[in-house]
Amino acid sequence: MLKPDVIKELSAVVGADHVMTANEDMIIYSNDATMFNAKPEAIVQPGSRDEVVEIVKIADRHHLPVTCRGAGTCLSGGPIPLKGGIVLEMTRMNRILKVDPVNKVAVVEPGVIAFALTTAANKVGLLYPPDPSSLKESTLGGNVSECAGGPKGVKYGITRNFVLGVEAVLSDGSIVKTGNEVDGDMAGPDWTMLFTGSEGTLGVIISITLRLVPIPAVKKTMMAIYDRLEDAAKTVSVTMASGIIPTTLEIMDNLSIVSVENYLKIGLPVKAGGLLLIEVDGVESTVEEDAKRVSEICKKCGASEVKMAKTPAEAEELWLARRSINPAFGQVAPCKFAEDATVPRSLVPVLVEKVLEIQKKYDVPIFICGHAGDGNMHPTIMFDKRNKEQKERAEKALHEVHIVTLELGGTLSGEHGIGFAKAPYLRAETGLAGYKLGQEIKKAVDPTGILNPGKMFFYEGELH
Amino acid sequence: MNQTERRRVIEQEVIKCSRCGTCRSICPVFLAENNENTTARSKNRMMEAVLEGDVELTPGVQERFEKCLLCKACKAHCGSGVATDKLIMEGRAAAVAHNGLSPAKKMAFTGLRYRKLFDLGLRTGALFQNLIFKKLPDGRGCVPRILLPGAGLNQRRIMPNMTTNPLRSRLPKFIKAKTPVSKGRVLFFTGCMLNYMYPEPGEAVVSILTRNGWDVVIPEEQCCCGTPAFTSGDVETGRFLAEQNIKAISAEKHDHIVTACASCGAALKHEYKHILDNSSLLSTWQEISTKVLDISQFVLKYCDLSKLGKLPFKVTYHDPCHLVRGMNVSSEPREILKSIPGLKFVEMKDANRCCGAGGSFSAVYYELSRKINDKKLDNVEDTGMDYLVTGCSSCRMHITDGLTQRNSSVKVLHTAEVINMAYDAASRKEGKAC
Ligand SMILES: Cc1cc2nc3c(=O)[nH]c(=O)nc-3n(C[C@H](O)[C@H](O)[C@H](O)COP(=O)(O)OP(=O)(O)OC[C@H]3O[C@@H](n4cnc5c(N)ncnc54)[C@H](O)[C@@H]3O)c2cc1C
Repeated sequence: MLKPDVIKELSAVVGADHVMTANEDMIIYSNDATMFNAKPEAIVQPGSRDEVVEIVKIADRHHLPVTCRGAGTCLSGGPIPLKGGIVLEMTRMNRILKVDPVNKVAVVEPGVIAFALTTAANKVGLLYPPDPSSLKESTLGGNVSECAGGPKGVKYGITRNFVLGVEAVLSDGSIVKTGNEVDGDMAGPDWTMLFTGSEGTLGVIISITLRLVPIPAVKKTMMAIYDRLEDAAKTVSVTMASGIIPTTLEIMDNLSIVSVENYLKIGLPVKAGGLLLIEVDGVESTVEEDAKRVSEICKKCGASEVKMAKTPAEAEELWLARRSINPAFGQVAPCKFAEDATVPRSLVPVLVEKVLEIQKKYDVPIFICGHAGDGNMHPTIMFDKRNKEQKERAEKALHEVHIVTLELGGTLSGEHGIGFAKAPYLRAETGLAGYKLGQEIKKAVDPTGILNPGKMFFYEGELH
Repeated sequence: MNQTERRRVIEQEVIKCSRCGTCRSICPVFLAENNENTTARSKNRMMEAVLEGDVELTPGVQERFEKCLLCKACKAHCGSGVATDKLIMEGRAAAVAHNGLSPAKKMAFTGLRYRKLFDLGLRTGALFQNLIFKKLPDGRGCVPRILLPGAGLNQRRIMPNMTTNPLRSRLPKFIKAKTPVSKGRVLFFTGCMLNYMYPEPGEAVVSILTRNGWDVVIPEEQCCCGTPAFTSGDVETGRFLAEQNIKAISAEKHDHIVTACASCGAALKHEYKHILDNSSLLSTWQEISTKVLDISQFVLKYCDLSKLGKLPFKVTYHDPCHLVRGMNVSSEPREILKSIPGLKFVEMKDANRCCGAGGSFSAVYYELSRKINDKKLDNVEDTGMDYLVTGCSSCRMHITDGLTQRNSSVKVLHTAEVINMAYDAASRKEGKAC
């Protein structure tokens, strides 16, 4: 519980309407999209950068933890206030400050929903490519903080490839500006990249400058259907080796297909072992050619059928299946470990085989899907937390997925972040020296340690 | 179901929510308030905390369950299909059992239980409404003269004129088909809004039915469908009213049951199942529920669309929540409208998004419900059409209120009124021809 004086101070900055302290509020803001929770002591909703500065100063003075929150769709526990204190909900700061079609940049406040920017960019003929499945819910502040990825990552890259600069409030209330609108360049190391993926542990992001690209003239969408999931995985590495870079290369296993079909009834091939959703974009002449070649590769790798969308509506239908996997998880079991194990693209078939083995070994349902084209897979382990024994099996399976990923030279987190859900494995990925450096950097930028404590390099549990 | 079973069912539903937050892009209340407290996942979280004993059924919890339109958009949008609407009703019922109803609601629901009293109350209400309301000079409705916050009467709010001559007093109990041979008998469940507020669409329903060869029966003993009560957590009154209606309906011979009110229809067709959980009338209801059709479904299935005459109207259509998600009716009214010769139909943006009425929601949270409604009105006006057609009187009231306040020229009509006008247009032409 915060002292009444502190609450008064906070209210004086943002107005009493934007400070919540009721127990009911604390329960609601104790969550993100994981199954973990920890209650804050107050939720503050700043409406401007000046208010953020003032709030952080108050927190600093009283040594209160500050945990930023966007839409709370994080899959690694990022916005959960592990150590209590203040949850800083950034969604009121949701203005798109500028979309500049000439220089192809956008400047936004952190609370802007990603989809709002996509729409605004489209209006002036530009594209903001990062497209996490949570596009319509998650905020750009959250996207930058987690370095969100999406299906378009294969060709365009993930959020990091589009952040030119940020402005962030440091834990003493000062504002740091990194990067620039031209090309993101800045003297010295890449400060912007320091904040990208920093998960609210280094500063409160108050403004973001993003790069936009021209909308491709045409695109072609297709779905390749396989009897065996392994063949679908093989197609990924063969395609990438062929020199064609599709915009999208998404994989879905049988469990994903069946669950989505149960939910949407759109006529998906429920008997298939796996399928690939593939999109190529660019100028007309090459797109036609690429699509034809990809389709041939699919068939050579064992696809029983390749469906080519003839109209935008048909393409949208093919996409619908992929977009609906996440919401369909709940049909199989109520709880999940939604992983984003990422390996070099050429090793996707190996990872798939390993996960299939893990699934068998521990007898837990695992959805195998993800952005296969950039090696960013989403093995999602399903369980019911009320069933202790099953939960234990799921945890063991999760552990093995982490280990296998690292053994394959991959990363624990292609896009969902470390938070504290994956923090126990962080040292195993960075190595001791890297882990120490991570701690030192955090200490240098946030010496009082009030920003999102207990996460990433400051996890307090046992490390693997 | 006993208490333990009920608890298990609730738990089972709550745990299905993965907290993914997909509801954030669809919940109209969240979109207007931008506060996590109002999302479906948070309501589920609240329920979970109550079940786990982390929090009592405090007024704070009760308020969080209250602040929901029950528009079912979250459920329709949710991949796990979490029935948040049901959970909220459970939450409301539990909170009411724990904390009681607000005095204004308590009074209203006691009235609902006594049909005659309620009838009298509303009719006297109509006679005396000039004391409470000030009629607008253009006859579009009335605004309250004095503030009755308990009844949700905001000074701004424009209510339709209550009729002194309700639908069920205008019409006899039995009405014969206008054709030489009758095709069968339709039971018309009028509901309160058509009876007391908007009798004209009710008359249109009867006219549509009889001119298409159907006899109509309007049971006198029918009463409020119970939706306002059971959605507010007053399950007892809800059950009382449901049972009364089932008795009234099953007492009359009929082939079909027609409703022209989204909430009544959804209640009769689906919601009663939940309300009549332990009732001896459950099996009677099951039989009844299979016969319930919204007027648009009935027209499409059993009426002659080729006899619809020319109507030079420019219309758009708003999907009432309880029709589109409550009864799964959305293509039917559109198909009918598009088959009316001369009528121009333009789809509005987000036609199936809640208008913000939500029954007593708009009474308790009037300003918020206006804010939600404003989006709807913008979308309506953007179509450039002259008429907004819809199948729910509660939506109609709320949208009309908004349109009037912004001096819009758009008028609202019930689907049944448009259909009947089209039939009228054809018979007028025929009349001229011979
Ligand atoms: C159904 C579903 C699908 C998803 N699909 C994808 C996907 O395809 N790709 C993907 O990458 N992720 C995906 N995610 C994960 C999640 O949506 C992303 O991590 C997203 O970027 C989080 O954004 P948010 O606004 O919800 O942030 P939050 O969850 O609120 O916060 C995330 C982190 O960012 C920090 N933060 C937020 N705002 C600020 C700020 N202004 N300054 C500093 N720190 C801040 C928080 O402290 C926290 O650590 C999915 C999640 C769900 C539930």
